[in-house]
Amino acid sequence: MTDVRPTGDALTIKPSLWIVLALLLLGGIRMVELGARFAVVYPLATLTAVVLFTLFAVPFWLFLAELDFLEREPVKLRVVAFAWGGLVATAASIPAGAALENLVAKLGSPHLAAEWGAVLAGPTVEEIAKTLGIVAIVLIARAQVNSVLDGVVYGALVGLGFQIVENVVFAVGAVALAGRGDDVQPVIATFLLRGFLSGVWSHTLFGALAGAGIGYQVIRHDRPRRFRAGVAVLCVVGAWASHILWNSPLFGDGLGNGGLALLAVLILKGLPPLLLILWLVRRAHDREADYYTSVLATLRDPELITAGELAALRSGSQRSAARWHAGHRAGRKARSAVRRLQRGQARLAVELSRSAPTGRRRDEIRTQRAILVASGHPEAIAGPWSGRRLASSVGMSGLAIAVVWAALTALGGA
Amino acid sequence: MNLLAAIGVAVALTGLAFGLPALDRALPADRPVRADEPYPIAAGVTVIPPPGAVLDVTGTRPGDHEGTALFRIGPVRYAIAVQPFEGSLAAAAARLRQRITGTPGYQVTGGQLAVATGSGIRGLQGGYTAPGRGGRYAVYVTDRLTIEVTVSGSELDLGRTLPAVEASARTIRYRR
Repeated sequence: MTDVRPTGDALTIKPSLWIVLALLLLGGIRMVELGARFAVVYPLATLTAVVLFTLFAVPFWLFLAELDFLEREPVKLRVVAFAWGGLVATAASIPAGAALENLVAKLGSPHLAAEWGAVLAGPTVEEIAKTLGIVAIVLIARAQVNSVLDGVVYGALVGLGFQIVENVVFAVGAVALAGRGDDVQPVIATFLLRGFLSGVWSHTLFGALAGAGIGYQVIRHDRPRRFRAGVAVLCVVGAWASHILWNSPLFGDGLGNGGLALLAVLILKGLPPLLLILWLVRRAHDREADYYTSVLATLRDPELITAGELAALRSGSQRSAARWHAGHRAGRKARSAVRRLQRGQARLAVELSRSAPTGRRRDEIRTQRAILVASGHPEAIAGPWSGRRLASSVGMSGLAIAVVWAALTALGGA
Repeated sequence: MNLLAAIGVAVALTGLAFGLPALDRALPADRPVRADEPYPIAAGVTVIPPPGAVLDVTGTRPGDHEGTALFRIGPVRYAIAVQPFEGSLAAAAARLRQRITGTPGYQVTGGQLAVATGSGIRGLQGGYTAPGRGGRYAVYVTDRLTIEVTVSGSELDLGRTLPAVEASARTIRYRR
């Protein structure tokens, strides 16, 4: 049994689409009302928060696009997933989270609510609201969810939308709490804390885990229904548990002050779920890559794809290395040709899996191959590690560490 | 089937957005509180509640470093918030005034008066108005903490309860 279920690529209009669109509209109205209230009182801070967190979303969006390189999801559906997270899930979670925290105080005690109210209420309502978004995507375009990785991508996008809008709300909330008027400093502090330091192990990650479960439920028809449902529930509960661990007061006071103590808390609470979920995502990605490269391997036509290119196409880092290698050896034109060649090969694999006509795609690939041959770099493969590429990678890693350390120092008081 | 499933999603979402708040509103939030012994708010700050006050658990979150307590005396809302604070009393008062006026329709009225609790914590107090409501605030600073007191209700109710609330505010104490 394969881990990929190829289906037709046409988006058909289903009754559920209208309900999902209505929910998006209602959520949008609610969040625009909230945003307008913020913008009236704190215009500069609101604008700064929106700009910073929108920019923050870009690398996540690009990472997901690269993860989804082989069988890319339609832009419309990706936007719907993002909008569900940012408009519907947030609009439902704000009143629901407050109500659930109040219920903890009423049924338990104010002490219990102070210690565990937000820890339990936030993850419970937010993970449910986000998971409903992934289910909504399946309902309106089940044919588009044809691997576990697709579930991961939609789940991560729902989570990303939620994360961005929630961060904007938190940032403007911090401005109001600071009581210094329309001041951007609390926005910057929120950006450092919720963006740089906790942005990686947040809703995007939890959403990806829940999405993997829903994806498994949808595609693995070779497994008994109960087993599939069990896996889906386990993944959603895993997302909930990871969220609770992150929100929990665990190590709240235990590791002292300063940047190193803050880093230790972040690693202890965030790293285990991050590694587990990244491992699952990698596994889902590799299975999808195995499927599509095996489809391409049946062509046995080196003008369309060589053995070296098949290996490069399997992994994001190898695809990137192949583009870099082409640029380094034969210039920008060759680099662009490799990117278009890889995109064409991926689309060809999807069309072959769907038994769709492939003539146009083959022509596109041959055109890019001709450009590569003419530029003296005929094969889109990753070259050996060069000193320049190593220096570039080390430099970027160093810059990332410096930025994180600066954020830790600013927030941890090191 | 597709439509039914989508309706199920919408119902589940409605349950979250409206069902949980409805359940919250259906359950009482008030708890009796003794008016003859200090109530611990947070970070070592205590207050003796006014006679006849009840504790509203939805606005009460005790803590080791910061926290809030919300009392209700009939329709009057009496809230105390304790937070870590590095700054002067004037800065703390300016911050609270800014937060009050940051709410649309809220305006601070008149100047501020110096006040002190029975245990000697110095503070500033003032008043504000909101649509259909009036309010008083007081802010105290002690040992890197700010203690913010806000009282709100209709002017008639405030007039009746303010003496008891002010007496309660004077019982605010801080023990490290």
